[in-house]
Order: sequence, then structure tokens, then C-alpha cells
Amino acid sequence: MSVVSPKTTSVPNPPAKRPFFDWRVWTVAIVLLVAVGLAVLFGVKQNAQQGFYGMRLFPLKTAYDFKLHGPNGADVRLDQFQGKAVLFLFGFTHCANICPTSLTNLTAVYQALTPEERKQVQVVFISVDPNRDTPQTLEQYVTSFDPSFVGLTGSKPAIDQTVLAYGGSYEMVAGPTNQPNDYSVNHSAYTYLVNPSGKLELLYGNEKLGEVPKMVSDIRAVLHEPRS
Amino acid sequence: MVKFARVSVIGYWLFTLGFLLPSAPLLFADDQVAVTVQRPWMRAVPNVMDTTAVYMVLVNSGSAPAQLVGGSTVIADSVAPMITTKEGEGLKQVVGMKGVDALEIPAHGRLVLEPNGNHLMVMGLKEHLKEGAQVDFTIKLEPGDHEIHLKIPVQKKPVQ
Repeated sequence: MSVVSPKTTSVPNPPAKRPFFDWRVWTVAIVLLVAVGLAVLFGVKQNAQQGFYGMRLFPLKTAYDFKLHGPNGADVRLDQFQGKAVLFLFGFTHCANICPTSLTNLTAVYQALTPEERKQVQVVFISVDPNRDTPQTLEQYVTSFDPSFVGLTGSKPAIDQTVLAYGGSYEMVAGPTNQPNDYSVNHSAYTYLVNPSGKLELLYGNEKLGEVPKMVSDIRAVLHEPRS
Repeated sequence: MVKFARVSVIGYWLFTLGFLLPSAPLLFADDQVAVTVQRPWMRAVPNVMDTTAVYMVLVNSGSAPAQLVGGSTVIADSVAPMITTKEGEGLKQVVGMKGVDALEIPAHGRLVLEPNGNHLMVMGLKEHLKEGAQVDFTIKLEPGDHEIHLKIPVQKKPVQ
């Protein structure tokens, strides 16, 4: 008899107060509250992801600190660019279509920023073809798009480690002539945005880079984030 | 009155032939290609690159499909039709390109060659033309071993 049904408890109440304590009203109220709570939580999460044009990673994680060779063969680490937003992508200079298209779009994005903003942004092109791309070749290649761009290469293990750390992939494909140097490289074509705190924050498929105002808006948002 | 009529008969034939002659190749040869080219451009590339790409829209007004099988230019060793390939999903997806024997221009349809997509790859560049230059470029179509000679602008971005 310890279980008392709501109906039984309501019996002694005065008829006028009955609706206020009706279990059905409470059930509906609680369901509504939970629904509103979930909607708010979900909305906040959606907002965190979707305010950006790029695919936002959540939660943010520290970006892998690659160590590769820059201009003149000097070591260049990702951490050297802390305090800047770094946009980097993988490619190779013998690439005739995808890589120049991505770099042309990134040039337009970079040049749409104000000079002050440009000082806080670094575009980096990482070769997945160290066999043919020397630091000198890469430097001439990337600086022809914008003098501030940096091209990186390195030993195959160092490049592989970097590609792997960013979840990417690449493969060499033999060309029609079967000559040792006639090959193409199929590669990940994402552009990765590392925020000024060194966290990997946004990803862009190569086909997204042409939307210059949206890219600029993302970069501005990242530059204005509180630093952690 | 008679004289006037004769002049108008001759005039009529001249007028009619004037319309017929230019279209004669289309009327008399089944394997002729009825393809026109719109907005062609070659990508201006850094001097260290030995390849580039040519983009354009090919419009086929004929009732039979045509094939873009290649091209040529004096500033490069070879030209080949290429498609863009995508393998895998998500972050592991790799994008690449692959040579094909031909790209089809459907009957009453178009073939779009554009950045990130299908293109004519230009290999073994012997000369690096700067933005704003023009280059002689020939495309080869089938059937009929048909050639179209073009003057193509060299640019960094698509023709607007």
C-alpha cells in the first residue's frame, strides 16, 4: 500500500485546486522543459559548428607540429607561426589543375584581407613530391602566387608523418610514358586552418576555396577569437 | 517588266546560294563536327612548372555526339584530355587526375572544362607565357579528324 496513485491523492483536495496538481499537467510541463533544454543545448552546439563556412573541428585539438624544410632548406616548424592563422595544404608543383586552382583561390582570399590582417595569416604549401620538388623549386613556385607564401618539403618519412597526423593520404600514379619521372600524385586536397593558438580549427575541401568572402569571414572570426 | 523579273530571279538564286554555301559542309558531310568553343583560357603558371591546363566550354549543336581527343600548341610538347578523380571518403579522400582517350561532347550538349574538373593538360612547357598573352592552340575532335584553331588568352583566373 506504499504506492499511492496520483488519482487517490487528488481525491481529498478541494475541487478548485485539482488542476494545479494534476499529474498530467506536470508530465507535460516536464516534457516541455526537457525539450526546450535539449533544443537550446543543440542550438548552441549547432551555432558553434555552423557559424563558420569551413568544416569546424570540435573540440579543438592542438595541431601536429610538423618540422619540414622551407626556403634554402632551413627547418620550418608549424609552431613558428604561433600567433598567426595558418592555412596549409598538400600538393606538388607538377600538378596542373587542382594545386594551382587552390593556390590561386587562396591568393585571392589572402589579398582580400587588410594589410594588418595579412600580417597575422600565413599560407603554407606542403609538397608530397620531395623527389621532384626541391626547396628552391617550391619557393619559386609558391612566391609566384604571393611573395608571403611558404613552400615546405622534407624527407619522405617527415612528409608521411605530417600527412598521417592530419588524417590525409596520397599516392603516386605512373604516367603514360613509364619514365621514372613521369608520374602524378593523387593527394588529399583539403586546406587546413590552424588558429593563432595552434589548434586545428577548420577544414576546406578544394572546391570551397573559391568563395572568397566566406573564406575571409572565417579567417577574421578566427583572428578575433580569444586566445587560449 | 520582263527584265525586272529576270533580275529578281537571278537575285533570288544568288540570295539563296549565299545562305546555302556556308552551311554546305554541314549538309553534305555526316561526319562533320558542329562544335564551337566558348571562353577558352590557358592558366598562367610559374616558370618552375612544366605543365599547365587549358579550360573552355565546347558546345555541340549537331545531332551526333563528338569527342575531344587532344590538342597541340607550339609552346608545349603535348596536350591530353584529363579527368579529375576522387577516391575515398572524408579526410582520406585523395583527388587526382587521369588521362583519358577522349572527352565526350553530347549531341545538342556541352562539355565544360574548368578548374578542379575536366581539362586539357599541357605538358612539357617550352615557354611560359605571362598573364594577358595570347597563345595559338589547336584542339582535335572526332569524328572526322577535325581540328579547331584557336587563339587563347593566358590568364590566372577564369574568363569572366
